[in-house]
Amino acid sequence: MKKIKVTLDIVSEEIRIFYDYKKWHFLTINGVALEGDRLEVQWIFSRYETMDEIVMFYAECAYKDVIPSIVDTIPSAIISQRELVDMFGVEVEGSEKGLYLDADSTQSPLSGCSI
Amino acid sequence: MKKTINIPLGSQHISLLEPVRFKFECENEKIVGVDSDVGFVHRGVEKACTTRFKYDAVGYVVARVCGLCAITHSLSYTVAIEKLLNVEVTRKAKYLRILLLELDRVHSHMLCLSHTCESAGFEAMFMRIMGDRELIMEIQELVTGNRIQFDFISVGGVNRDVNHEVAKKILNNLDALKEKVLGYMDEFTNNWSLSLKFKGVGKLTLDDAYRFNAIGPLARASGLKIDVRNEIEYLPYGEIGYKMQTHSDGDINARNIVRLQEALNSIEMCANILAGVPEGEIVVKSKGKPNGESLVRFEAPRGELMYYVKGNATAMLDRVRIKTPTFSCIPAFSHVFLGSNYADAAAILASFDPCLSCTAK
Amino acid sequence: MFSSLLKAFANLFKKPQTIEYPLTPIEKDKEYRGLIEYGEESCIYCLKCEKVCPPGAILFIKTDNPSVNEKNKKSLLYNYNPYLCIYCGECVRACPKPHEALWQSNVKPSIAIKSDNVNSSWFELEKLHKKV
Repeated sequence: MKKIKVTLDIVSEEIRIFYDYKKWHFLTINGVALEGDRLEVQWIFSRYETMDEIVMFYAECAYKDVIPSIVDTIPSAIISQRELVDMFGVEVEGSEKGLYLDADSTQSPLSGCSI
Repeated sequence: MKKTINIPLGSQHISLLEPVRFKFECENEKIVGVDSDVGFVHRGVEKACTTRFKYDAVGYVVARVCGLCAITHSLSYTVAIEKLLNVEVTRKAKYLRILLLELDRVHSHMLCLSHTCESAGFEAMFMRIMGDRELIMEIQELVTGNRIQFDFISVGGVNRDVNHEVAKKILNNLDALKEKVLGYMDEFTNNWSLSLKFKGVGKLTLDDAYRFNAIGPLARASGLKIDVRNEIEYLPYGEIGYKMQTHSDGDINARNIVRLQEALNSIEMCANILAGVPEGEIVVKSKGKPNGESLVRFEAPRGELMYYVKGNATAMLDRVRIKTPTFSCIPAFSHVFLGSNYADAAAILASFDPCLSCTAK
Repeated sequence: MFSSLLKAFANLFKKPQTIEYPLTPIEKDKEYRGLIEYGEESCIYCLKCEKVCPPGAILFIKTDNPSVNEKNKKSLLYNYNPYLCIYCGECVRACPKPHEALWQSNVKPSIAIKSDNVNSSWFELEKLHKKV
């Protein structure tokens, strides 16, 4: 698995340059809660018709940062972004809350934030 | 005056197996807009795996995310933990794991096909396929002790062995089942209720399949060659006769044909496995606690399933991320509905084979 | 097309495939995963089954009249909840004496009704277990 470190302000441009829709298959967006109220966001891709080739872009950010959206490049990322908003309580451009959780349930269950 | 009206395919509908709600914006019978809500069965499995259960019990928890692909979830999690603990399982355990995976694929495809027949109005065929599915359920009960929740895989190998009498009964049942599946292939291509009704309905073109990252039989029916069994080295699929089945039309009829061909290929693979199971132990002892991160992918009956596991050298895990096949196909579903008639919506949804328990974990 | 019409006609004269369960009893295979059974005389009170059980269906609670087993040094009593158990068999695999102290039969659990008070009596046991 190849890991590429990026920062939040360059990630949508990096993915736009990297992504070719006939070569790479977009898997999902993942979030991991780190110690000290930080969050790691991962964008995972795999290559069509190749053995075990996986590329992961990862960025570390705070919970109050706004994560850029990649829906212009990859239209099917909208559903993964909505899940990230629901589970962690972060803000992603163009994605609204309410995929899994209702307004009266426990909000942002996977968030490691102490607030 | 507005030109469109909103009609829901509600969360309770007579053709749905699990609750999902689509709100269609229709202009005179043609669908022009889709809004979907899929979170009705959310149970918080990812949170429970890191707070309430230790790492050796989580394999039983994730098997209960879905009923039809339970063994694929349990296998993916166990392989991710084995990578972190550096455990090497024996070849015999790998062969037994593939055997159960392929039997699971056959019975899941038969369930989907019978549901498709029911939405076409052919209820007699629905009853016949469900009755023939009992042949597989009997074999599964003989091998693992239960019909659907197998609890067969644990860290280091498998829990039970297959002896000679059980292998003979499995081969007899598989022979009987192969005749019946060939009969279904004949019905699905020649019977007017099933072939004419479905041709040209719910089409997904190859270019759209690439753009919306479709996976599973939905993508293979449009001509996209994606199958995780072709892309992993962990299980020896090349030695037992695996062949990728594709079709080029992309409509409902093509998806049914792809599922039937996959079922035939899986029956052939199971017979090859039983003919050549290697000798050896079924379980290997493991030590230590998981530390680090690992990512595995396997082919569930509905598409590609991905697990990401992160551990920190204690008994409780740090993060378990489950990416299920139906979840990644939701944008492709929403695109296929546009442009078709509202009356066809139930049949198109049944042909996708959605598993909502997997989606809203 | 016409072969399915002939098949439908022939099916009129065959008997149905349904088994009328539970009026007709079904024989379960001897390897079916059923209730867990306990043999107290051979138990060595190592408590491995309690640690390994995923839902926590086996609890050892301190009791006032313990058994006459010389290995029972802390006066414990075995409690098993068949309605919390998932019949996975992990306890049998972890036990050092699998066929003498703990084994899995092929009997299905009986149905619980409200007057059995299954839940409240088990929650009492869990509270006693947490205190220790």
